[in-house]
Amino acid sequence: MSHDLVVSARFGIANSHTLIVAQAHGAYTQLSTLLAQPPQSLVQTVIDSGLRGKGGGGAPTGAKWQLLEGQAKPRYLVVNADESEPGTFKDRHIIEHDPHLLIEGILLSCHALEAKAAYIYMRGEYRFWHDRLQSALDEAYGAGILGAHSCDITLHRGAGAYICGEKSALLESLEGYRGQPRLKPHRPEPEWLWGRATIVNNVETIASIPYILYKGAQAYRAMGTKESAGTLLFGLSGHVNRPGVYELPFGMPLLEVIETYGGGIRDGRALKAVIPGGASTPVLTAEQAKNATLSYEGMKLAGSALGTGGMIIMDESTSMVDALDNLLAFYRHESCGQCTPCREGTHWASSIVHDIARRQPRSDALPTLKNIARTINGQTICVFGPAVADVINGFLRNFPQEFA
Amino acid sequence: MSNVTLRIDEHTLTAPKGSLLIQVMLDNGLSIPHFCYHEALEADGNCRMCMVEIEGQKRPQIACNTPIKEGMIVRTTTPSIMQTKRAILELELRNHPVDCPICDQAGECSLQEYYMEVGLYDAHVAKSDKIHKAKHVDLGSHVVLDQERCVLCQRCVRFVHDKAKSADLVVTGRGATSVISAVGAFTGNGYAMNVVDLCPVGALTSSDFRFAQRVWFLQSDASICHGCARGCNIHLDHHAIKGGIDTLYRLRPRKNSAVNGHFMCDTGRISYKSLNENRLLEPHVEGHATSFSHTFSLLRRTLDDKSQTIVALVSPHWSLENLASVKLFCARFEIPLFGAHEASIEPSFADEWLRVADRAPNRAGLELLGIDVSPHARDRALSRAQVVLDFGHDATLSSMSTRYYFGTHPHSDAQMQLPVAAYSEESGHLINCDNIVQHYSGSVKRSEPLLSLHALLGLLVMEGAWATQPFWHATLIDMAPSLEGRL
Ligand SMILES: Cc1cc2nc3c(=O)[nH]c(=O)nc-3n(C[C@H](O)[C@H](O)[C@H](O)COP(=O)(O)O)c2cc1C
Ligand code: SF4
Ligand code: SF4
Ligand code: FES
Repeated sequence: MSHDLVVSARFGIANSHTLIVAQAHGAYTQLSTLLAQPPQSLVQTVIDSGLRGKGGGGAPTGAKWQLLEGQAKPRYLVVNADESEPGTFKDRHIIEHDPHLLIEGILLSCHALEAKAAYIYMRGEYRFWHDRLQSALDEAYGAGILGAHSCDITLHRGAGAYICGEKSALLESLEGYRGQPRLKPHRPEPEWLWGRATIVNNVETIASIPYILYKGAQAYRAMGTKESAGTLLFGLSGHVNRPGVYELPFGMPLLEVIETYGGGIRDGRALKAVIPGGASTPVLTAEQAKNATLSYEGMKLAGSALGTGGMIIMDESTSMVDALDNLLAFYRHESCGQCTPCREGTHWASSIVHDIARRQPRSDALPTLKNIARTINGQTICVFGPAVADVINGFLRNFPQEFA
Repeated sequence: MSNVTLRIDEHTLTAPKGSLLIQVMLDNGLSIPHFCYHEALEADGNCRMCMVEIEGQKRPQIACNTPIKEGMIVRTTTPSIMQTKRAILELELRNHPVDCPICDQAGECSLQEYYMEVGLYDAHVAKSDKIHKAKHVDLGSHVVLDQERCVLCQRCVRFVHDKAKSADLVVTGRGATSVISAVGAFTGNGYAMNVVDLCPVGALTSSDFRFAQRVWFLQSDASICHGCARGCNIHLDHHAIKGGIDTLYRLRPRKNSAVNGHFMCDTGRISYKSLNENRLLEPHVEGHATSFSHTFSLLRRTLDDKSQTIVALVSPHWSLENLASVKLFCARFEIPLFGAHEASIEPSFADEWLRVADRAPNRAGLELLGIDVSPHARDRALSRAQVVLDFGHDATLSSMSTRYYFGTHPHSDAQMQLPVAAYSEESGHLINCDNIVQHYSGSVKRSEPLLSLHALLGLLVMEGAWATQPFWHATLIDMAPSLEGRL
């Protein structure tokens, strides 16, 4: 399938992370023209493009940006580079291979949002990527691309907590507090950083902005499906022959992607299960995967969610109990511990599944597990809790015989 | 703000629009299990215990983050919401040691209460599966933490952060292994012990009170802290062990939004000790204990001896009633009376919250009653005085004068000492630094008969009415008409 590459166009070019190479291949060429346009027209283009957030939630970006309308200045843009979910490893490719695309995206977004400062919150473990992005920022400052005449970008390293990818926990952490999600507002409103109206977007979302503003909303819309416009950096990991990230338009059949891009299942084995969009999306059986397509609506239809598009492929040799045990160990460790159901429930569920994996479950293990999932679901401050419930329910529903 | 009407189970209630549902329920005495919400702290929504059903909402909602709306219909007892609450409480208790018999919070514990209310499930957790944490962490400032009993409601953390502004309690770790920890030695900027009151379970206890007394034995009086001119409203908790003396065990803040909110400072909180210890309990003459009748006759003789120059001094530590009685007493014997002005001012005690530099509880009252506070006149009178009637003023006297002392604690330099009741043992009114008139009443009973200063002076002048409240009520308004309606 031939399509434009929105965020990975310069990935294959040697030294594409340096300013000189990026510029030679189109970076910043239309920046000054676009910065001369009225902010509202840029927002309109983003609305028209149908761009949806690529951090997992898929919220329409344009509508989110409109929440800043009428809000006092200063306003902030925060770029979410916390990328800590198992199965999701796309943003770091943008930072590694084309940091100037992200910087240009931030400059354009800040202009559209009338923000003079942006913060990039980066996962603590991403040392290499931090240094790479910082060098790119230094170069951009040196060349006068960033600074007094445009906006300031500050790169901040987190301390290594998955929950700090949740936008409000991220902001707490950025403000210097413990990274705990905030209570959700009762009606739509922007986020708040130091009490100022703020927009939080994923790295890939922001990196899609230059393409959309250079080529126009229609060019972006021309790819993907009606409800899922454009492309996504899909990740393939697990039991495939060629794990990696591949930028593809939305709407492709899941199995075709595994075959064509992932090179099929390793050792010629049969597919058993796919977690389609990062660890937090419900697992699909091979049967469910058969007709699934990779779009927000397609994945919903298949019984899961598109999430971040980071697919974890499992072949027939996989123990689903071990897989769930492994996932729950992650969630148990990463629950921020703020809400009772998530803090205690995740820990308890994890130890129950661990007991099942060691073949020493209590007799009431399964009903207890289901009750825990029910109690966590929808009764927490952030969606970490419900995601854990979804994960547990997905495994129990789709692979009951292995837990019996 | 306009009012709205809503229904909660079978109750129809009216409350200001936008109030938090949980507060409306608490204000109306309706039961709503909760750990993290506290009126004095912002809603945090972390314990998820306060779940209710709201008509028109798919999922249960937390009452602590629900502003009330006109016509809202709330249910708290349907089988499904009870099941939800039970399930959350079960999770809350999963890693709890359930060591109530040896827990100091027993009887004041929210966990115990809610367990009886919604719990009563069979235990699905083997004790051996529980996470173990530290049972005795001395955080500092008399505050001891049992990490296993903590339900991580973060009230303590939010208090030090938002109220005490010391930020020296934090959550460390994450998930189920999270614990509360102190950053360095916990001081809470001098307000540390409030976290003990805020803690809904037995995780934070006071090493000052811990194990001293089971709470259900304590008798509680509504009083006012005498530690500074703020006059924080307090509970005086006391108890007489069978046959023993009535003893104060602790002071706790009592809510008053106009004065101290829900809190008090640590200095005030441990000030109760001086009310138990080292008290002046019997009259003394020349350092020897003697009887009231002996002291009284000596005193009367002095008062009647017109050849002696007598001056009286009074401190701002007394209630309006006691100050007024001193004033009447001195007027009757034509004794010049002076109040203290500069005494008890301690600038280093003041802070930006409750503590003020004036360590006396009733300076405003002293001034209102028109007691002469000019230092010059007082010093001139003192230099000529042969006898000084010292009502707790504690001024240094020249070697020429003799001190007759009326007080609660022994005085090392007094010819005669007469014991009177401390504020924990009597009732009265004070005027605080913001000119708010406040009432206190104490019912601690000492085995020795200690009279209030005003009653003691009444005995001396044989005025039975001086021992009665109506008399002082009328007298005070007479002396200071602005007190009308404020007593
Ligand atoms: C537990 C949790 C972890 C998350 N981690 C990330 C993350 O690492 N990166 C990210 O972009 N979004 C993450 N999100 C989603 C963010 O909260 C937020 O929706 C997103 O950054 C918004 O950007 P977008 O609209 O561009 O997708 C996470 C959400 C949750 C609940
Ligand atoms: S749901 Fe879990 S991760 Fe989210 S705020 Fe609550 S405890 Fe923290
Ligand atoms: S110590 Fe008490 S107040 Fe603090 S978090 Fe634990 S239970 Fe809550
Ligand atoms: S009291 Fe409402 S969630 Fe804790």
